[in-house]
Amino acid sequence: MSEIMSAVENVPSLTETNELVAKTDDTGTKYLTFKVGGELFGAEINNISEIIEYSDMTRVPFTPPHIRGVSNLRGNVVPIIDLAIRLGKKPGQPTKRTCIIIVEMEDAGEKMDIGFVVDEVDEVLDIHEDDIEPAPQFGADIDSAYINGMGKLNGKFVILLLLEQVLSISELSQLISDYDLLQS
Amino acid sequence: MSSPEETFLLECGELLTSMEDALLQMESSPADSDSINSIFRAAHTIKGTGGVFGFDDVESFTHVVENVLDKVRDNEIDVDSQLIAILLSCRDHIEILVNKAVAGEDINDDDKDIDTDLRSGLNKYLDVPEAVENNLEVAEEKHTVEFESSGSMVISDNWHISLRFDKDVLQNGMDPLSFMRYLKNLGEIVHVTTLYDDFPKLEDFDPELCYLGFEIDFSSEADKEQIEQVFEFVRDMCVLHILPPRAHIAHYSEVIQSLPEDDMRIGEILIASGVLTKRELDEALNKQEKSFQAENENVTPIGEVLVEEKVVHEEVVNAALNKQNTNKIIKSTEQTVLRVDADKLDSLINLVGELVISGATTNMLVNKSGDEQLIESMSSMSRLVEEIRDNALNLRMVQIGETFNRFKRVVRDVSKELGKDIKLNINGADAELDKTVVEKIGDPLMHLIRNSMDHGIESSADRVASGKDIQGNVWLNAYHDSGSIVIEVADDGRGLNRDKILTKAHEKGLISDGQVLTDHEVYRLIFEAGFSTAETVTNLSGRGVGMDVVRRNIEALRGSVDVDSKENEGTTISIRLPLTLAIIDGFLVRVGDSSYVIPLDMVNECIELEEGEQAEPGMHGYINLRDEVLPYLRLRNYFDEPASTTGLESIVVVKYGTNTAGFVVDELLGELQTVIKPMGKILQNVKGISGATILGSGNVAIILDVPNLIVRATQAETSHVINKASDENVLLH
Repeated sequence: MSEIMSAVENVPSLTETNELVAKTDDTGTKYLTFKVGGELFGAEINNISEIIEYSDMTRVPFTPPHIRGVSNLRGNVVPIIDLAIRLGKKPGQPTKRTCIIIVEMEDAGEKMDIGFVVDEVDEVLDIHEDDIEPAPQFGADIDSAYINGMGKLNGKFVILLLLEQVLSISELSQLISDYDLLQS
Repeated sequence: MSSPEETFLLECGELLTSMEDALLQMESSPADSDSINSIFRAAHTIKGTGGVFGFDDVESFTHVVENVLDKVRDNEIDVDSQLIAILLSCRDHIEILVNKAVAGEDINDDDKDIDTDLRSGLNKYLDVPEAVENNLEVAEEKHTVEFESSGSMVISDNWHISLRFDKDVLQNGMDPLSFMRYLKNLGEIVHVTTLYDDFPKLEDFDPELCYLGFEIDFSSEADKEQIEQVFEFVRDMCVLHILPPRAHIAHYSEVIQSLPEDDMRIGEILIASGVLTKRELDEALNKQEKSFQAENENVTPIGEVLVEEKVVHEEVVNAALNKQNTNKIIKSTEQTVLRVDADKLDSLINLVGELVISGATTNMLVNKSGDEQLIESMSSMSRLVEEIRDNALNLRMVQIGETFNRFKRVVRDVSKELGKDIKLNINGADAELDKTVVEKIGDPLMHLIRNSMDHGIESSADRVASGKDIQGNVWLNAYHDSGSIVIEVADDGRGLNRDKILTKAHEKGLISDGQVLTDHEVYRLIFEAGFSTAETVTNLSGRGVGMDVVRRNIEALRGSVDVDSKENEGTTISIRLPLTLAIIDGFLVRVGDSSYVIPLDMVNECIELEEGEQAEPGMHGYINLRDEVLPYLRLRNYFDEPASTTGLESIVVVKYGTNTAGFVVDELLGELQTVIKPMGKILQNVKGISGATILGSGNVAIILDVPNLIVRATQAETSHVINKASDENVLLH
């Protein structure tokens, strides 16, 4: 009987040690950092499917300025968002370093690709959970709903974007409908 | 859901549809034997298949229906509207039962009540005891005949069924047990011996194979045909011998001989199960030897032997002949119609779309190269690609008639419910359109038809009072018109009441005071959200969501809806839909730096403007086109495109329904085939564009939605004028 009891008692302690091992092994989540409007941002790498060169795209009439247009991605028509405008910053002129980051978003079980324009792609980083501070209520100059957290990087802060919010399909299509109503 | 059950569900759906059609047909011509046969066939097949799957509810209920139908077929019951009504309800009930059975749900109390009601309704027609008596008589007659033919009979009163399933019966999705279970419905299984002689060594045993055979003694009043039908679905997958009660011993010997197991062993089983006595077995085995000798001397064809020995009931022969005939018919329709998975068709059409795009790219490159031979061969290939595209799209085209026919029943039921006499008239049922469109148009049409019947058509008393025919009419018309299909739902009812609509629109704040609207604009208000003038909400319509939903559903299909009405004469609602959703012929134009595609069906003509005739600068205006006013829209300004470098502009004259308008563009680039690419959820709600397409150069071009662009421009101008007017008012004050 006592043997059984001790065995049972041993179980949680075992998992505890496992967790400890996992934690020390874990180097944190991977983030892609990029510059928009001169500021450094980061986004979790999970949703990002590819980064492509910036090229001219087709404008779509009757859409607000943050919809940069649509582009041909291997035979599919993909909407491209101007991230600077979406975050309330001034749009920059495209340069040699301007890129489009393609992410796969999901809405009501339906997957679709969306691209967004950034001024420059920086690097892929591991940011440990302990190095992420909660978003400030104000002062970051962008809607706090779009912020996942503030990553500490060499003593500086990187705004980690919550792409699910920034590129939310329902929000974007709502914005377009509102803009449409306003125009007509 | 496993696939045989899925097929069953699909088949039942088709059978029930044909049953409904036939019932409605019978209502107008009761003596139509084709209709009654097709109803009977449907019920019979559903019963049979339901039984095989072990769906007892389906099977037992359909059985009662089948009995009634059988009597109708034999002219024992007269067809009247009451019978049709009950059979229609039965059809609905079978549908519920089948769906629930396949989904694995139990039937609820409501369904049970319906079940009981319908059964008692049907039983009135059946006169049950008489039927049993008849059967008995027939059975007895048969027995007497057999007695006379030969003295050597087995004494047993039971049928003997000898059954050996093929090994792959399980792999074919059949469960041997379900046949036994189904057999029980015809009578009592007295004794079953399961034979497992075929059973292999354990290491060779394959769990997916069936190694069993059965010897069944069966007591029943059913005849041989009925028993055989139990096994209809495994007929090709088993060895079946059915011996009638008191059969000739010779037949037993034949069976024993034909079975794979050792003769003596079978004999013992038969004795054990009480079919044969020991003496009978000896006689049978004896006979067998004799027949062996006889075979060597003179071979008698098996058919002759069977007839001679009267082992085959006449009914069985007839049934076989009938079956051969129906098989022939089925075969001939099978050759003309092929059932194809819709996914396969979609992927084919997608591929054809890609082919069209890459064809356009190649075409462009070939033309650039200037090689005459290459250009010639390319042009013949382009023609082929075009044909392939048209044919592929045609595969998806179905006639609208099937959808229309569904409403016959709706109109019939709803008019009974409302106590109105309403006739449905269908025109243009052979007009074809894309299957996806057909599927999605059903619900909106349902709303419109119910609305017409509920609100449009007056009560009989009102109709008489206003001097109309007591029977109201609802029309469903379909016809092709400039690249679209138009579906009209019309009625000869009271028409829309302009004043009522206006009052309501004011109440709901849909229009502001002092706004002057034409009749047409007023009528269009019924499509606004939350609009309903019905004073009472019936369970049919009047909730005020209907028309709004109708409009949105149709717009989602790139279509539009319009209404026309005349007081006391009726209302017509016309739905205009594109024929297909996948590929269109387009007309490519350049506006500023971008290319746009205008659906070619809507392009009437193109006019190149000379410098002197240049239209006024600005977003819109009008020109004189052969003495008619043509309003135009300068797309460059409208789309905020940068100014063009070349000075010359052209006007593309588009026609949509009764509207004609001009689009001023910077350059005409010519015709092209375009594959419509969905723009995704984010951009799908932008009015005025209907999709995008990828050009030969790899660039994306936006496809213009002409009707919505015109509506948009009209609205913009109206609000512009109103704003201007109100601004002036402010200034005056």
